[in-house]
Amino acid sequence: MSWRRIRVVIRRHTYVLWRAPHRWFDIAFWPLMDVILWGSLGTYIAQQDAGSRAGTPYLISGIVMFHVLFQSQIAVATGFMEETWSRNLLNVLTTPVTEFEYVAGTAVFGMAKVLLALTTVSVTAFIAFGFSLDEIGWSMVPIAAILVIVGWGVGVANIGVVLRFGQGAEILTWGTNFILMALSGVFNPVEALPGALQPVARVLPSTHAFNALRTVMGGDPLPVDEIVIGLVGGAGFVVGGFAFSWWMLRIFRRRGFVTRFS
Amino acid sequence: MGDVLRAVGLCKTYNKVDAVKGIDVVVADGERVGLLGPNGAGKTTTLLMLLGAVLPDHGSIEVAGHRLPRHRSRAMQHVGFAAGYLPLPDRVFAGWYGVRDERTAVDETLERFGITGFADRLCSSLSSGQRTLVGIVKATLHRPRLLVLDEPTASLDPDIALKVRTGLLEYCTSTGAALLVTSHDMREVEMLTERVIFLARGHIVANDTPAAIAALYGYDDLEGVFLELAETHGR
Repeated sequence: MSWRRIRVVIRRHTYVLWRAPHRWFDIAFWPLMDVILWGSLGTYIAQQDAGSRAGTPYLISGIVMFHVLFQSQIAVATGFMEETWSRNLLNVLTTPVTEFEYVAGTAVFGMAKVLLALTTVSVTAFIAFGFSLDEIGWSMVPIAAILVIVGWGVGVANIGVVLRFGQGAEILTWGTNFILMALSGVFNPVEALPGALQPVARVLPSTHAFNALRTVMGGDPLPVDEIVIGLVGGAGFVVGGFAFSWWMLRIFRRRGFVTRFS
Repeated sequence: MGDVLRAVGLCKTYNKVDAVKGIDVVVADGERVGLLGPNGAGKTTTLLMLLGAVLPDHGSIEVAGHRLPRHRSRAMQHVGFAAGYLPLPDRVFAGWYGVRDERTAVDETLERFGITGFADRLCSSLSSGQRTLVGIVKATLHRPRLLVLDEPTASLDPDIALKVRTGLLEYCTSTGAALLVTSHDMREVEMLTERVIFLARGHIVANDTPAAIAALYGYDDLEGVFLELAETHGR
């Protein structure tokens, strides 16, 4: 593994982001809109029922932490897709950069996008609704760690899908975020989901991260068991994502799919 | 003198169509080889296999002593690739190829091809011909032992194409790099290469110097050979 090559991947994506204002939508615009939407909804619910656990702090903390998952996933997946959009994939495949180095570069770059998006949502939440990240406190770190890892795993798996099925499958990159949002209990406990979906939700490590978040927001200590389950599950997601993508990459190379992108 | 590229018994089938049928491609250090053939002959599939972007169904490939696909990263440190049909990103980073002093490498390479004015320009601001030129410059930034070029001058004006050929010859001569090039311009092939591998329907039908192949088919140059092969073997 070469740190030099990983740094080059990071530099490449930094320049791409800098030169493409529309890519700031993921970092700035959608997070801003999400905070306004969920913050307003939380405010309305609180006006109806002051003691509700679906009030502003719960919904805003949920959307803030969801953007950690969203950004880390989207940075890895769209980092790769950038090469397909610019028809640069064959150039990348013929460099010494390994698959792992490439994903590592996009994942590290994704951390910068996570921080930018977090800044957007936290500043907006504070200005518009008086919500401060202090309400989550240091518990945010292990919760965010689970969500970042899950995002990496899902992002890498999405790369595999695009390698195998082509650019038409890119829609899944955004679609999986909505699936995770619905099933992970970002704003509600798993028990509120339809019965058939609850077992699926409990398998997701992100569900345990959001369970922990709700517990902390309720004034209780950080549930360590949820964090451990989330971290172990997240690691499983990363391993599974890499294994799936590796398999897809072999099919991609065996069937000569590179010509689709060049 | 060793072989920088040794590919033996390459076969590739796509959707029950045999694109490449058991060919050997061996390029010695410093040797300049042309890979020619009519459309559908299997040139691009062969090149993509030699670059590790496509896995052969059968056969083995070694680049600079490193076996593909297992040691692809190490092998690619010795390979520079450019294709006339491939776009480039806005910025080209020498660091992709492990170049330490990027600025010096870029300046030296741009000077070699006489385009020093391109150093700080974004690729999107260049014409298609200029971008092709930058693609070739990119392929030589890390002083590879093997330069693989697919239709390198396809979109260039004759004067720029001549500049590219001259720069490539100068590069290969001064650095001892080997060249594997595909082209539909037979005069270009005659100028650049010492040996030509002619492919037709996935087979090698001729493998010799350009003059010897032309003589074998009873022509003065490769143009006639190409036309004859395209007529008899083209798809």
